[in-house]
Amino acid sequence: MEYFEPRSVGDALAILAKHGAEAKVIAGGTDVMVDIKYKEEPGGLVNIKRIPGLGGIQENGGGLRIGALTTIRDLETSALVRSKLPVLWESAHQFASLQIRNTATIGGNICRASPSGETLTPLLVLEAKGKLAFITGEKIEPFTAFFHGPGKSSVGSNGLLTEIEVPYPVAGSRGVYLKHAVRGAMDIAMVGVAVLITPDASKNGLQDVRIGLGAVAPIPLRASKTESLLRGKPLTAALLKEAAATAASESSPISDQRASAEYRRWIVEALTRRGLEQTWKAATGKEVV
Amino acid sequence: MSLIVNTTINGKTVSASADGSTSLLEFLRDTLEMKGSKLCCNTGECGACTVIYNGKPINSCVTMAADANGAEIITIEGLASGDKLHPVQQAFIDTGAVQCGYCTPGYIMSVKALLDRTTKPTVEDIEEAVSGNICRCTGYNKIVDAIQLAADRISGRA
Repeated sequence: MEYFEPRSVGDALAILAKHGAEAKVIAGGTDVMVDIKYKEEPGGLVNIKRIPGLGGIQENGGGLRIGALTTIRDLETSALVRSKLPVLWESAHQFASLQIRNTATIGGNICRASPSGETLTPLLVLEAKGKLAFITGEKIEPFTAFFHGPGKSSVGSNGLLTEIEVPYPVAGSRGVYLKHAVRGAMDIAMVGVAVLITPDASKNGLQDVRIGLGAVAPIPLRASKTESLLRGKPLTAALLKEAAATAASESSPISDQRASAEYRRWIVEALTRRGLEQTWKAATGKEVV
Repeated sequence: MSLIVNTTINGKTVSASADGSTSLLEFLRDTLEMKGSKLCCNTGECGACTVIYNGKPINSCVTMAADANGAEIITIEGLASGDKLHPVQQAFIDTGAVQCGYCTPGYIMSVKALLDRTTKPTVEDIEEAVSGNICRCTGYNKIVDAIQLAADRISGRA
């Protein structure tokens, strides 16, 4: 197996242009190393961890720029992430073990393009974008367009995700990330739901609602029908029930060793209801009636 | 073998060859014959292979040996000085926090990393620090007792 350790994005792209079809990009390695041991060894490994400038969390105007090599633990221990992007922080906090959080990178979690990737639904509801580098040039792409299927994303086999841009939510917004798993944070999510709401100025209605569903479709997705059902309305008990059922119908889960499709749909319904209730209460100070 | 790993393990510099696909655990156990870090799940879920990498606990089974280049690594073999055990090791013995013992080196490394961060860990700190370690004998209560005893001894409270 060939091993490459590029020292610049340009070098990495040149290597990928030549070997991208058989070589795999590796950063933290917490997924790729498991594939090597239990599935098959790729023809080559391109270790991007020694490329300078791909880490770090910086405030940039109305948001954060997060380097692709930033570890999940760096996100979790960042005061900026915790205070400005609590939804993303919650997903980092519920991300596997401390050992894994110390190693796994946000860029790896994104490019793995697993529907259950912990940080993905928070990034979707925050309307974050990825900076993608190709040999032909750079491209900024919203994550709502980035995922194409399990393991498939816009980086393809010869691009690199270098940076994540996350705009701050509008003042007064409240978000939550809810994960359902048997072994707490250690487990891969059976279902993950991220909810971000913005109340209107009078705090009587929902000016904006964003709902991300994880592990219940081939890609992490936004529940757009549920969002349009809710937008502009006060969150009543009847609407909450309808919204939760709509979110469940927007999911298309599979049955696997972790849960059946039917069970996953129930959980989508329960977590959507819980997420909307919690954020509504936090944003408006009102109960859902 | 496609690369040379130059690293520091338990304070000693080490240089040996590895493949890109070699894990740090394989490098320690098979290349360097250091068998203290245990191979168990090999997927980063059980914590038996935990080592301290630049001050942070990590799963050596899912870390590339290549990433040890230039790093400082502490393994279970590096804790005792001569016949004197590290306080965490001694606390595991004194509280009987060992059953079959296979998970113990990984636990001890996670706990050492925790007590390097704070000598007054809260229950939440302890749970977070060892949530990535599985004891298949399920001797968890005594492990928590051992962590508290070690913390008390290190901070001079016991």
